[in-house]
Amino acid sequence: MSDQPVTNFSESRPESRFASSWGAATGSWLPAVILLLATIVVWEAVVRIFAISAFIIPAPSEIAQSLVAQWGTLMQATLVTAGEILFGFLVSVVVGIAIALVIVRFDWLGRALYPLVVLFQNVPKVALAPIFILWFGYGLAPKIGLILVIAFFPVTLSMLAGMQSVDRSLLSLMNSVGASRTQILFRIRVPHSLPNLMAGTKIAATLSVIGAIVGEFAGASDGLGYVIQFASTQLDTALVFAALLLVSVLGIAFYYAAEILERIVVPWAPKFSQS
Amino acid sequence: MRVETIRAAGGRPAHIRHDDLISAKGVSVVMAKQLVLQNIDLSVPKGSFVSLIGPSGCGKSTLLKVLAGLVNPTSGSVSIAGLSPVEAARKRMIGLVFQDANLLPWKNAVDNASMLLSIADKSLSRAELRGRGQEMLELVGLGDSAHKRPHELSGGMRQRVAIARALALDPAVLLMDEPFGALDAITRDAMGQSLLEIWQRTGKTIVLVTHSIDEAIHLSRHVHVLGIKPGRITESLDIGLPYPRDLTVTEDPEFVRLVVQLRTMLRASHQPGDAS
Repeated sequence: MSDQPVTNFSESRPESRFASSWGAATGSWLPAVILLLATIVVWEAVVRIFAISAFIIPAPSEIAQSLVAQWGTLMQATLVTAGEILFGFLVSVVVGIAIALVIVRFDWLGRALYPLVVLFQNVPKVALAPIFILWFGYGLAPKIGLILVIAFFPVTLSMLAGMQSVDRSLLSLMNSVGASRTQILFRIRVPHSLPNLMAGTKIAATLSVIGAIVGEFAGASDGLGYVIQFASTQLDTALVFAALLLVSVLGIAFYYAAEILERIVVPWAPKFSQS
Repeated sequence: MRVETIRAAGGRPAHIRHDDLISAKGVSVVMAKQLVLQNIDLSVPKGSFVSLIGPSGCGKSTLLKVLAGLVNPTSGSVSIAGLSPVEAARKRMIGLVFQDANLLPWKNAVDNASMLLSIADKSLSRAELRGRGQEMLELVGLGDSAHKRPHELSGGMRQRVAIARALALDPAVLLMDEPFGALDAITRDAMGQSLLEIWQRTGKTIVLVTHSIDEAIHLSRHVHVLGIKPGRITESLDIGLPYPRDLTVTEDPEFVRLVVQLRTMLRASHQPGDAS
């Protein structure tokens, strides 16, 4: 065997589509931004022309005033809710991954666990909120619990799908050299599942926001959910909308944080590079 | 008499010739109540290049899996240098290449090339694995693409990495299931030619499953034709064309004659046989 390489026929490389994606992205945002601005203008105009009462539909300008006037309170509430979301989200991801790993690694446990997980998914979890308040009080714990039961499922399900979609001939290769189940799990199945897992994680991020707000509705003395409830009893609809706006901003922020995480964790995912 | 026969064969069963690396005897496979393979006798001499060709559903891929120890024959036996296929695989004697390169997208070419070796031999350090991976990439003509991820490689290049990954085990036999089946005609010719050169350089024994008549004749020393219903070897053809061969061999009158002969055999193999 000599050291020289055998014939190296030049084969064309697939072209990268990365270069044009930034321009395309900003271009695709523009119509959405224009529609949003138009909606705000029409909204303001309709409220003023028909003199609609502020406690039914506040004009965008009134919402903005409320936002400025109550800035301190709202920021404090936002911080509390953001903390709940972040903590609850992380717990959901960790628990969701753990359940998926157990189901795949231990056959009999998986067969026992999986139907129960699916069954549990059909429980209307928002209805669990009062029970969680009863068990855990008015603090952080019931919110974390509620986020967990709402958000772990997409994590578990997406990771399972990813781990179980490994090509059979790749498993044949691994088996032929005597790879153990644990080796196949951690060297093939888990990294293979990461693109799916990140997709599930993005869904979990969105659900975590819902979980936190529902938890605060059911019983809380702080947070944006509490502000919404309190303001609506005061008929301060402008403040309700201001708080809703901040909830939406939180939701978007968490979603994009998850998406940035995805780019870091799975740079090879098909979305970013044609394969 | 019986004792003498066994002695004469050096203590091995009489049907195993000394120069056969792979010997399958009376192999039948039943899957889902279907007779997939019927009474296959196959011997692959050490260092030879053997192709299995046949219509879809003839069980040629299943036969390769039997040789690889991935499918257990319902009856009959397979020996690879005196070992069962599973034992041979554990001793890193079998390298596998499938139609899909099945590279790990999160690893670069050199780490993909050493991936199976890292599992087969846990004593190797990271640097040793990298070195071995790099050596194999150079052998398949991808020495300067070591740090590229699979998505940066073309289909042919990915299949080269898959071949490097199999060769990294330093197997005695390379079992290939339509390795170039998903490639375009020009890349396919180039890959076949590269495989021939790798074969001659390394002296490996190669068993190739293919759909392509040209590929089978261009590359192999022996071609076995499989028929359908049930899957069985209907004919065998020795390819007398001298090595080293390159693509100009396809213009050789003998090549053309063999193509016609093999095509006739293949046409006959499409007729269902007598399942009894």
